[in-house]
Amino acid sequence: MSVSEFMGGSGIWCGAAVLLWLAVAVAGLLKRKYSGSALSVLTIIGCAFLLLAAIFGRNCSLAFPLPWYLGDSRFSFVIDPLSRWFLAIIGVVGIPVALFSPGYLRHMRQRISLGFVWAALALLLATMVGVILAANAIVFLVAWEVMAASSFALVIADHEQRDIRRAAFIYLGATRTGSAFLMAGFLWAHQLTGSWSFSEWSLSGVSALGPALLIFVGLATKAGSWPFHLWLPIAHPAAPAPVSAIMSGVMIKTAIYAMARFFVVGGSFSVPAIGPIILILGAISAFWGVIFALLQHDLKRLLAYHSVENIGIIMMGLGISLLGKRYHVPLLAQLGLAAALFHTLNHAIFKSLLFLGAGAVDTRTHLRNVEKLGGLIHRMPWTAGAFVVGSAAICALPPLNGFASEWMLYQGFFAFAQHGHSVGTRMGALLLMGWLALIGALAIACFVKAVGVVFLGNPRSQQAEHATEAGRGMVIAQMLLAFMCIGLGLAAPLILSPLGKIAAQMGSPSLLRRTWTIPIGLLALLLIVTVGVLAIWMRQLSRSLPVRRFITWECGFGDLGPRTQYTAASFAQPISRIFGAIYGYALEVTVKGRHRRHFPETVTAETMHEAHLETKIYVPILKSIHRMSGNFLMRLQAGSVHQYLIYMALVLALLLWIGVGR
Amino acid sequence: MNAWLITLIYLINLLIFPLFLVGIIRKVKALMQNRKGAPVLQPFYDLSKLLRKTETISGSASWVFVWSPRVGLAVALITAVLVPWAGTLLTPNWVPATNFLLVIYLLALGKFLTMLAAIDTGSAFGGLGASREATISMLVEPTLVIGIAALALGAGSTNLLTIYAAPMSPLVAILVGSALVVAALAELSRMPVDDPTTHLELTMVHEAMILEYSGRGLAMIEYAVALRTCIFLGLAAQTLLHAWPAYTALPVTFRYGISILSLIALGKAVAVAEGIFVKLKWRSVPNFLAFAAVMSLLAALIAAAQI
Repeated sequence: MSVSEFMGGSGIWCGAAVLLWLAVAVAGLLKRKYSGSALSVLTIIGCAFLLLAAIFGRNCSLAFPLPWYLGDSRFSFVIDPLSRWFLAIIGVVGIPVALFSPGYLRHMRQRISLGFVWAALALLLATMVGVILAANAIVFLVAWEVMAASSFALVIADHEQRDIRRAAFIYLGATRTGSAFLMAGFLWAHQLTGSWSFSEWSLSGVSALGPALLIFVGLATKAGSWPFHLWLPIAHPAAPAPVSAIMSGVMIKTAIYAMARFFVVGGSFSVPAIGPIILILGAISAFWGVIFALLQHDLKRLLAYHSVENIGIIMMGLGISLLGKRYHVPLLAQLGLAAALFHTLNHAIFKSLLFLGAGAVDTRTHLRNVEKLGGLIHRMPWTAGAFVVGSAAICALPPLNGFASEWMLYQGFFAFAQHGHSVGTRMGALLLMGWLALIGALAIACFVKAVGVVFLGNPRSQQAEHATEAGRGMVIAQMLLAFMCIGLGLAAPLILSPLGKIAAQMGSPSLLRRTWTIPIGLLALLLIVTVGVLAIWMRQLSRSLPVRRFITWECGFGDLGPRTQYTAASFAQPISRIFGAIYGYALEVTVKGRHRRHFPETVTAETMHEAHLETKIYVPILKSIHRMSGNFLMRLQAGSVHQYLIYMALVLALLLWIGVGR
Repeated sequence: MNAWLITLIYLINLLIFPLFLVGIIRKVKALMQNRKGAPVLQPFYDLSKLLRKTETISGSASWVFVWSPRVGLAVALITAVLVPWAGTLLTPNWVPATNFLLVIYLLALGKFLTMLAAIDTGSAFGGLGASREATISMLVEPTLVIGIAALALGAGSTNLLTIYAAPMSPLVAILVGSALVVAALAELSRMPVDDPTTHLELTMVHEAMILEYSGRGLAMIEYAVALRTCIFLGLAAQTLLHAWPAYTALPVTFRYGISILSLIALGKAVAVAEGIFVKLKWRSVPNFLAFAAVMSLLAALIAAAQI
């Protein structure tokens, strides 16, 4: 296909967006101290172009003509319903993030170079588009690597803090490892097919298992799936809040895109084993993410663990979709895929909303420890309102968007239970429904904790006491996302048509339309009317009997201080104790004083937990690598020129020998 | 039967019966304790009294506290309209298709709002109640979903109206019905999980959450609780009735009568249980709810094998 046809389709808009962002990147690098309203506007225009491409564009593909070669493959791109879906996600999250950033970055201007952040952010957006449009492995990898590098630059933006340097280093290690797996998988697939182009890969059987698994591990590392999620709760909180929103909301989804492209929709690999693997890892991730989120006291870290949870939910959808393909049940395959993709969009929206909320709180209080916050709903009403909506959405409460996609996943599980071939699979599907319900209830617990401790009650510190509402751009960005949560929840039946187009890429016509059986609009209307009637009635009653404001009941002991409120740790304690065995939860209470029982002088309570996966598996592995490099590799790199010359000669001889041997 | 008549009965049922059921439970409980007890209509008197009293709101409270009972009651009303807790046949045909997951998540929405409102006042009791409520719903929700999904698998639909219109496998019906009864005790904050009438806030769950409410706010919460009582006990009663294979073949009015009677009987059983059980230690609650989970899982296994 020629350039002009590509430009006639969605290509021109994508191209314009990418060029615009590259211009932003250059401008940002040239003007390091620039706070960036103009850059923000340009970034938003780029996102708007992307949305145009996603919504109104046509399917097309493009391979650049001859001089534009990368290695032995061409620069080639493809736009189809699946890539358009992910372009929409980038655009939808990009706009509010760009709106939010100027206000947020202003409070960091002493510490970081703002132009640099804008440059890296624009580059990240552009390379994500590259990853999603790439039609062959080389273009994909180049975009993937620049995406990793630019996100690393964003994580380390605030590099004067030691914690952040450490987090960025861990992130770098994780992305390098992931990329190594991905490259190995791509090379293997190239070896088997002789082509770099994804459309020419159609691998199946035992020989495909190797590359498929390598690619899957590479992608799962980027997505932050258990057990490769280690970096995610460390790196995401370290980045500035808008960047966390982009990383959690969009960047890790590129891995989901690639999973959907390689394993589900595109059919590059038809390996039966991948379906159950994705399903099981997804189920574990979802649970793992949410129980660790419950223990967190750093708001952004809590949200990062919820990304692990939601990636798990998305992967469960992809997993049952693959099982549907394997057992030739188109309904199951389509429901699973549609639920996964819809949840990807929804998670992008509510997670970026929540990260922006955490960022707004951070700029106004300079605190991320939830135990020091409280009462912000009176001081930051808009931020609080948006955060409550986002929390309800992530808890999958109707009528918001999280409910719509989780409901579709439940329907997928139910279809799996109906069409399962054996008692075991049918029972397994019912168990998965219960599992999702458990995860949903845990998410509710976690977000009641987060909202309750951060925004409700009384402030627990001076900073929280003196907080004020975030700037206008920041508030508008959050409101925009909150409205999207509501709108997508109500418009869920409409979303089924683009999802149906993607599902149809799997080969059979879309069955999605008749799976949606909830009259969500009617219910929302009913809810609004009922609440309205009740509110009017109550207002009528309060005319004769006005509401009296008084103190919270304190059992007659005198004024309640903020410290008498329930803390996040105590809120999570009953659930943490139930799952304590998983992370060695312990609560130690010490009471000191002469008459300890009745008149204690000091009472301290301390909770402890340990992430066994990290301490028992990753730390030993890393230590042994460290030891090996210290004992062995260091000797190889002794800094002696003679030694290096010998290496060169040896390698040259080896290569010659291999070449001659052929 | 005339569509208008059905709608009328349905709405009267919806507006009056829940409070009546709460009155019956209280009366039987009083009789169990050798008291004469308040009249069965006492909840109606309470409600009208609360609506006529001044509402006092904590100075720390925000709009969450004010709007939580309004939205909570609206959600409970809508859920009660959707759920066929008095049998499916008298459900008017304007009631939309009711997915059971929608119902469970609507109930979760109500709980989410109640928990937030509990924390909103900055009272330690509110936080304590909310934390425990979150724990209990975490233990109960998987049981509910698996249990009703087992019924749905048998009926081949996730629509509650379809599920409860069709005959069920008696064994699955008994298991799920019993699981629903146990789950209802926890969800409705009844003994042995929670004591709704204790005088010590530290031992309460639901009452600790709504401690700061008074007047109109409390009235709305009380009514929502009555509706939830009907929804849960009604679902349990309907499921248990389906264990009787002839039930779905009975004439319409007869089935309606039996449904209401069984709901009252279940309410009385709950009251008797409150009279004879002691409240469980908080740490033993998971063990108690494990019974419900096991029954649900068994039902799911049987349903999966029978399909």
